[in-house]
Amino acid sequence: MEIAVSNLDCADRAWTVHEKIGPMMEETYIRSSAVVSRLIAGETLVVPVRGKVGDLASIYSFNDVGTTIWEALAKPTSINTLIDLIEREYEVSRERAAQDVENFLQEMRTAELVMAVEVHGSDVSHRTELRETA
Amino acid sequence: MSAASYTDFSSAIHKHYAGKRTPLEVSIEVTRRCPLECQHCYNNLDMADTEARNRELSKEEYFKLLDDLSEMGVLWLLFTGGEIFARKDFLEIYTHAKRKGFLITLFTNGTVITEKIADYLKEWPPFALEITLYGRTRETYEELTAVPGSYDRCIRGITLLRDRGLPLKLKTVGTTINKHEVLSMKAFVEEELGLDFKTDSLISPRIDCSQSPLAVRLSPEDVVALDMHLPRVAAEHSQNIVREMQAAEPQGDGDTVYSCGGGVKAFAIDPYGHMSICILSHQETYDIRSGSVKEGWDHFLLAVRQRKRKQITKCLNCRIHSVCSMCPANGELENTDAESPVDFLCEVAHLRAMALGFEVPEHGECEFCPGGKHHPEVKESARRIIAKEINVGEWKSPQVLLPILSNASTSASTGCGGCGSHSNQ
Repeated sequence: MEIAVSNLDCADRAWTVHEKIGPMMEETYIRSSAVVSRLIAGETLVVPVRGKVGDLASIYSFNDVGTTIWEALAKPTSINTLIDLIEREYEVSRERAAQDVENFLQEMRTAELVMAVEVHGSDVSHRTELRETA
Repeated sequence: MSAASYTDFSSAIHKHYAGKRTPLEVSIEVTRRCPLECQHCYNNLDMADTEARNRELSKEEYFKLLDDLSEMGVLWLLFTGGEIFARKDFLEIYTHAKRKGFLITLFTNGTVITEKIADYLKEWPPFALEITLYGRTRETYEELTAVPGSYDRCIRGITLLRDRGLPLKLKTVGTTINKHEVLSMKAFVEEELGLDFKTDSLISPRIDCSQSPLAVRLSPEDVVALDMHLPRVAAEHSQNIVREMQAAEPQGDGDTVYSCGGGVKAFAIDPYGHMSICILSHQETYDIRSGSVKEGWDHFLLAVRQRKRKQITKCLNCRIHSVCSMCPANGELENTDAESPVDFLCEVAHLRAMALGFEVPEHGECEFCPGGKHHPEVKESARRIIAKEINVGEWKSPQVLLPILSNASTSASTGCGGCGSHSNQ
């Protein structure tokens, strides 16, 4: 069995991502409801619980930054908001925060652990083709 | 994103909690009712046992229990029986557990798996799924299960689950009835089905203390001969003995009755809400219906786990614990005393060591060590195994079966009546 481990580490990377900051930063994401997260041994573990979600043979664990983003994604959250959060919580430059958030979301999208959503006032609708969840 | 092996993941979690008393693994018997009537089984009850059904925890009680276990930080869950699918609401209980993010293992005999259940499990996959195969042929399988048609249903269940790519493993328990088919079962599972297979030949008395399963238990000589015929098993035993003999202190040199992970990292809950150190241990239980599972863990099981041993036994200084199944639960079941060494298990362990070429270091008065009254027999058995005079590959179907003392439905109602552990079940 493979256990996927997300490595988001603000301290060890230098980023040049100015071109990435733009309209896409308003994109909003939320956790897939087909996964469950647990706090075990001081780490956030994300366990896929239903079929067709990412790799069901995998369990995902996040470091501090990943955990912070994951916790924020309990409700629909824009990329900009996530960048603000990481910039503020970890006192890193906005460029580095943006790169970390984008990398994390890219991995989460690939593993199908998060879903893009559209927010209209208080309504939230899934923007991407969503499989039926719980 | 990087990947790590499951072993590394599991090791990291256990390392994190090393030295701390934290419940990580819980075994839950959801029922003891089962459509099979296996002669070797330690707990099965008749499907029509309405009294047992009525005493089982309700679906709602399981939901509450699972919520509590999640809160306590439990990660690994085992659902076992009886037959788990004997409960019509099992998938609801299972789904509730899945939604809580447990890593769930299911033990089933496979005979009641339908397409609908297999499809559901594909949609909500368990972490692991294990089916026990009781024979390679219909005749042998059903000789042990005592239910006509059960072999075909089991094979169908295996096929349904395997075809859906579920994380299925097969296993068997060697008995006097099916021992001649253990190797063909292994070949069938590994070569034809492409699945992992393991075997275990140690049978316990029933948890109601009925000795009926022992009528089909293999002799120590046959247990070890089978071990030696399975290279991976023999190598594992050998490595374990070497490691244990090189250790500074004997494994059993603690001052508490229990030295396993029970009550430290793990515990069990029976179908009626009784919490215990492990699934086999039933002399000391806590009723979660009269308290909470957390209270049971924090206070009751702590006290059980910390209980000091009262006896000085030959086990304390023994250096072959790693190939011996002696534990307080087996002591309870075979001797009605958690601390009394079980002769059968002691003989198997000594024979394993000797058949692998080890001399067992002196560890007190032991019947199976040099000078002990049973040592010559063990020594002769080891010689026969090493000389391959016992050829497992040529074992035949038993011509005359041992007398069956009683089947599940009868033995379940008898018990020992003396150990005091069944009065509230």
